[in-house]
Amino acid sequence: MSNNIYLPHLVTIEDIYEEAPDVRSFRLVFKDKALRESFDFKTGQFGLYSAFGLGESTFCIASAPTRKGYIQCTFRKSGRVTGGLSELSIGDTMGFRGPYGNFFPVDEWKGKNLVFIAGGIGLPPVRSVIWNCLDRREEFGDITVVYGARTVADLVYKNELQHWGDRNDVRLIQAVDPGGQTEEWQGKVGFVPTVLEEAAPKAENTVAVTCGPPIMIKFVLKALEKLGFSDEAVYTTLENKMKCGVGKCGRCNVGDVYVCKEGPVYTAAEVKRMYNDF
Amino acid sequence: MADRILKKDNLGKLVASVNGNGGRFIAPVLDARQVVFKDVTKAEEIVTEYILARNSYKEYVFPQTEVVADFTVEKHGVDLKSREVEARETVVFGARPCEAASLSSLRAIFTWDYIDEFYTKREDSLVVVTVACTKADDACFCTTVDLSPESRAGSDLYLLETESGDYMVEAITDKGRAFVEKYKGAFTEGSGKAKTLVMPEKIGTIDLEKVSARLKDKNHYDDQVWARLTRKCIGCGACTFVCPTCHCFDITDEGTQFAGERRKNWDACQFDTFTLHASGHNPRHYQHQRWRNRFMCKFNYYPEKFASKGCVGCGRCIRVCPVRLDITEVMEEFSR
Repeated sequence: MSNNIYLPHLVTIEDIYEEAPDVRSFRLVFKDKALRESFDFKTGQFGLYSAFGLGESTFCIASAPTRKGYIQCTFRKSGRVTGGLSELSIGDTMGFRGPYGNFFPVDEWKGKNLVFIAGGIGLPPVRSVIWNCLDRREEFGDITVVYGARTVADLVYKNELQHWGDRNDVRLIQAVDPGGQTEEWQGKVGFVPTVLEEAAPKAENTVAVTCGPPIMIKFVLKALEKLGFSDEAVYTTLENKMKCGVGKCGRCNVGDVYVCKEGPVYTAAEVKRMYNDF
Repeated sequence: MADRILKKDNLGKLVASVNGNGGRFIAPVLDARQVVFKDVTKAEEIVTEYILARNSYKEYVFPQTEVVADFTVEKHGVDLKSREVEARETVVFGARPCEAASLSSLRAIFTWDYIDEFYTKREDSLVVVTVACTKADDACFCTTVDLSPESRAGSDLYLLETESGDYMVEAITDKGRAFVEKYKGAFTEGSGKAKTLVMPEKIGTIDLEKVSARLKDKNHYDDQVWARLTRKCIGCGACTFVCPTCHCFDITDEGTQFAGERRKNWDACQFDTFTLHASGHNPRHYQHQRWRNRFMCKFNYYPEKFASKGCVGCGRCIRVCPVRLDITEVMEEFSR
């Protein structure tokens, strides 16, 4: 048994889903059968994914811990490692280290209403929470999902969006930025913070979870404040560049806060207390 | 009170014994007209007239580049092998008391919940033989950060040079005592007259407690003072490489997509790509934000998070800086 904290586990790509232009999901299973059975994580945790020969990249675990036996990741092809990962096929091997970081305290939310707000490629970490809560649906009150992307094509998890939309125990509001709509588009046209304000989920006994581009998060937090949400009831996940994932390499810190160790999940109250290092 | 004497004539015996045992003997030597820590096999190579080696000895516990795993990509999958550190006895001779104090800071980071055995195994087999300072220059400021040539922290053996060029040896740790016992042929009874230690003058305008309090107040973050004081920084990262407490690294694959190595390589928070996101967003877009991060790391994160020193006052960053950016000037500014 190696004590090498930088040594990844080997995983096989069991399936690949094309989510949006340049955005893919991998369904991954551990090669090690014992690990496949024993691997556990909490919603909101992240991992480091290897394309051997090119390096490692950090993404959240986009699947829910209620779904055992595999993990899913979703990434946009944007650099060397994600470029390399994009060239892999079903059956190929890659590396995974994790799970790392803290998590969304889903167990504390029992009996509460939930509002999920995501933008673009910010949906994957929120998806993990959504499925986690849908798989334990009876424990929570109303569930609202507000999701927007730049264009219709850029919406990820299109099949799942349709499924959530079809369910009568989920209120789904989809949006695309002005100019991103198609003729057939039946959702909203507008930016996520505005769409959220119009949807006006009630703040009472409600927890909000948001992830997306920094500029979106900034205005979503303002919108939630306007709707009466307290900073303690609003959660987000910070996605900073990481190399080690375990508090050593020195680049994910926001001021004195190491996102990999003390995050990536924070309440809006905690984010507001941080140094302005975003 | 000295436990033993290391006669200069016995230094060669010690070097040979350590090397003969399969260990490494690191000491200050002249290389390209600079005094640097390097492996030595003969005592004659060792320089005694120096203030501080140009490099810190951290590279012997945290190498500039280090393989952590090997991989080959085969048809059936990937063959991945972990690298293990071979823990060889490594003696650093001629460290100064300031830099000796840095090891506990590095250890705090490399053992923060997850144990980096590449670091700990090397540090566990490292013997720090400190020679107290009989010289200083204007860049030395150990006394300003509450250290001095008399500080023993981090040293396994603490040596005072005598007028005749021998060393009075004080064993500080169990590791140091075991080392003296192991190489007892080189250490003898006796005494000598120690040379006078040279204390760098404390910079009176710097108050570490004030610096600490100012940095804790988050409002300073957007203060123009950072841009004003550090505008000339060109982001070369030299300060981080010579610094005995800087620990940032990158993890990268080298080789081809079919076979290669995964490596830990030194990196620097001063580089523009260090925190750059794939999206193009960079939390530390401006150089002064990167400089601010390094200063914060030394005077807020290390002390607050790990109760350890982020800066030991060795002055290497001042000596090596191509634009003469002096960290003590920033400390002075934050002492106001």
